Amino acid sequence: MSAAALPGNGLDAALGIVGTSVRRSDLAEKVSGSARYTADIRLPGMLFARVKRSTVAHAVIRRIDTSRALALPGVKAVLTHADVPRVLHYGSPMPRAASCTKDQYILDRKVRYWGEAVAAVAAVSEEVAEEALALIEVEYDELPVLITTEAAEAPDAAQIHGNEPDREALPGNLVAPPVRVARGDVERGFAEADLIVEGLYEGGRPTPAYMEPNASLCHWDEHGRLTVHISTQTAFMVRGAMAEVLGLPLNQVRVLADHFGGGFGAKQDLFQSEFLCALLAKRTRRPVMMEWTRKETFLGGRSRHPVKIWLKQGFKRDGTITARQARLVYNSGAYGSHGPGVTAVGTSSLTSLYRCDNVLLEGRCVYTNAPIAGAYRGYGVVQAYYALDIQLDEAALKLGLDPAALKLKNAVREGDIAPSGHPIVGHGLEDCIRRGMQEVGWASTPLGSSPDRSRAAPPKRPPQGALRFGWGLGCEMHGSSAYPGIKEQGNALVKMHEDGTATLFTGTAALGTGAHTALAQIVAEELGVAFESIHVVHGDTDIVPWDIGAFASHTTYMGGMAAKLAAAEVKRQLLERAAGLLEAAATDLEVRAGVVRVAGTDRILSVRDVMAPGRGIPSPHLVGHGSYSPTKSYSFAAHFVEVQVDVETGQVQVLQVVPVHEVGRVVHPVAAQGQVEGGVQQGIGHTLSENHEIDPVTGRTLNASFVDYKMPLAMDMPPVRTILLETAPDPGGPWGAKGIGEDPIIAIGPAIANAIFDAVGVRFRHYPITPEQVLQRLREV
Amino acid sequence: MSAVTRDPTDNAIFGRDDTRAVRCTVNGEPVAFTVAPYRTLLDALRHEIGLTGTKKGCDVGDCGACTVLVDGAPVNACLMLALEADGRAIETVEGLAGAEGELHPLQRQFMRCGAAQCGFCTPGMLMMAKALLAEKPAPSETEIRFALAGNICRCTGYTKIVEAVAETAKEAAQEGQAPR
Repeated sequence: MSAAALPGNGLDAALGIVGTSVRRSDLAEKVSGSARYTADIRLPGMLFARVKRSTVAHAVIRRIDTSRALALPGVKAVLTHADVPRVLHYGSPMPRAASCTKDQYILDRKVRYWGEAVAAVAAVSEEVAEEALALIEVEYDELPVLITTEAAEAPDAAQIHGNEPDREALPGNLVAPPVRVARGDVERGFAEADLIVEGLYEGGRPTPAYMEPNASLCHWDEHGRLTVHISTQTAFMVRGAMAEVLGLPLNQVRVLADHFGGGFGAKQDLFQSEFLCALLAKRTRRPVMMEWTRKETFLGGRSRHPVKIWLKQGFKRDGTITARQARLVYNSGAYGSHGPGVTAVGTSSLTSLYRCDNVLLEGRCVYTNAPIAGAYRGYGVVQAYYALDIQLDEAALKLGLDPAALKLKNAVREGDIAPSGHPIVGHGLEDCIRRGMQEVGWASTPLGSSPDRSRAAPPKRPPQGALRFGWGLGCEMHGSSAYPGIKEQGNALVKMHEDGTATLFTGTAALGTGAHTALAQIVAEELGVAFESIHVVHGDTDIVPWDIGAFASHTTYMGGMAAKLAAAEVKRQLLERAAGLLEAAATDLEVRAGVVRVAGTDRILSVRDVMAPGRGIPSPHLVGHGSYSPTKSYSFAAHFVEVQVDVETGQVQVLQVVPVHEVGRVVHPVAAQGQVEGGVQQGIGHTLSENHEIDPVTGRTLNASFVDYKMPLAMDMPPVRTILLETAPDPGGPWGAKGIGEDPIIAIGPAIANAIFDAVGVRFRHYPITPEQVLQRLREV
Repeated sequence: MSAVTRDPTDNAIFGRDDTRAVRCTVNGEPVAFTVAPYRTLLDALRHEIGLTGTKKGCDVGDCGACTVLVDGAPVNACLMLALEADGRAIETVEGLAGAEGELHPLQRQFMRCGAAQCGFCTPGMLMMAKALLAEKPAPSETEIRFALAGNICRCTGYTKIVEAVAETAKEAAQEGQAPR
């Protein structure tokens, strides 16, 4: 059913429950300590599993001897590549091909990165399991280690993959065929330009660093049925991958995913250890818990793709962009994971944000012997818009224009074709920039009318000692949903009970965003009943309807629409039943605040009374199913940032952030703000301090801890004054609502880099921008 | 809480039958348990005593998710051996609410302000905030931020956490009493 055809999907409807910060249903459990996470579970007879990880980055295992480990008292099973099914699978259980690469075995004879699993142990305690790991002897025949994409793309480079029978053969170390996007004529565009700006932009290796280390708990019953408790964003995808690799029908795998401690995209993947956990449980016929250490989340987890982007644009004197050409090279690490998807989404994102008719883009994703890059909040776009937005700032300087005015002039508008191929709805980006300028006092100077570089930004604070101050603007747009890369689907069931309360069954994940509260708000709004009368059931693939999982900023947009459709169906049944009782036509009935009324009259009946069992009539049981496959909508943001640069220490401090986000319809203001504040925090970290460091010779991880991998702490975070706009509602989401999850991490980076330039006149084209680099560059100028 | 089940061979190996008795109070209740000498207080709380509200985010004292109070002082439970708890008073997130289940003001304000997202750092944040307010009933925003600097949150940007702690202090001041 198309959303536009849905009755009551009024984009400008006045709503009572949607749009208010109702009490979030998950927080009572979280503040009391009763919220259960996978590693909290203990089952009778449970064993503990640990993974042995490689100490080389690229090698073939010559010999692996587990006899001493097996002889250790308390060890119940050891698995190596010789003991596990040799099934090639997608590292991420996403819908195939377009996003992910089929290039992984549960365990392989070949090792492709430092820290890859080579064996697994199940024992009576974590300590015994850990001790057993040390007793497993592995000898390697080492191969050349390729850490950079340059090394991996050299003509004589060793092949990291290539011998897998089911894998599409590609030249060199390419993960997937290069992505090429061409629109218009770049040659002509550059010829028409008054100014050409060109540069190389580089992104480091930030990691999601979710607070809950990965965990899974597997057990099998007497009928050969597998149950998996797991910290995942995509329970049904885990079920699918487990079933496929272990050769089970889908109804013989049950995945339970209750609360989990953050994922940010990375917990869409499977990490070898879940399969090992299931196989160890099968072999020992006991429940097996596999809980990662913090260190393992760095070694075996997923990072953002390090990237090198060469970007060239042509500009007219008035700021019009005449041509844009780019080459993007994403470093996938040892496996493909989401490489193809990230490359496609990131590359094609450069067709948009700032209008340009002549575009030529090429994106490549390359295997190296680095740890695996994967899906991470912002999915390829963080890198691309970092380059694009900084280059707009550079161009503004050269053209003598105000950067905000240049960005406004070129901002995508209603009807422009988005990266997905869909026309943009509304003027969301323009609205964000204008509103933010107003908020921070960035004068709205007409293009070209102001003197000297037209720095119309808010008044700079004067230098204080070694401190310099500056303002920057960064912009972004991001799709809700992964369409057209993959076709997603969300489903919901709503049951209304005999007393008028209702239960929503949803397959969406409890990522911690408050999404289930938002879904309950949507159901309550649609049904016309109190928010408190909705209960949400989630996290059990045996019970809830299929859902593709939580990613691509689509939970409220897609899962919310599925919930709305399910509720609309229940409402239809409810009003049909009420029509009989009120002796009126169902079409004349309205329901609000738990009361059904014959429109325009005082003939009313409470929902409870409508649902009450009649004399001798069995209790009714209304059920509605909603299924929704979205196409695409885009959310927009402009982030305004003030920084302070200490020219003696190189330290950059963000003093304040004003993120302005256009999200169509705000369902839960506090939860939406929370998404923005958290995204800003991660973005500040990525831009200024976070980088998963790899030794360039050995491929060894150098900073696998929260002391050495430096994230913003409470005292590092500036005030964040979030502004949410509802100026471009999209008919594809419930009452116009669009995504918000990924957007806030994208615009903050270029905003900071641009603000540093404003403060000290030094242009940084990479992240993280560390104090050492700031100092060094300051000395050079 | 699910019982801890051990393999019968567990204690027989590596001299790990050398468990010791620990007596302490946890959330005001006297507790006695035996524990291997290498067990941390964190593992003992979670899996010997069954209070899994306290979380393991790093196990090396970097993240603060396992913050509990020991004789009123905030401690990373992953850095303290369970044996050291003998004779001490331990407070965990499960002890914040009152006997009738009424929420602690910090819990109420965390909910009201939306100061939790994934919830994994929340128990540690609450305990650290409790320790702060016990020492400084009216902290400045900077004092709150520095007090929480050892507790990493990856979801919220800390904005609403700081707000929730400040609101709790304000509420207590208006009622003329320090929070419990």
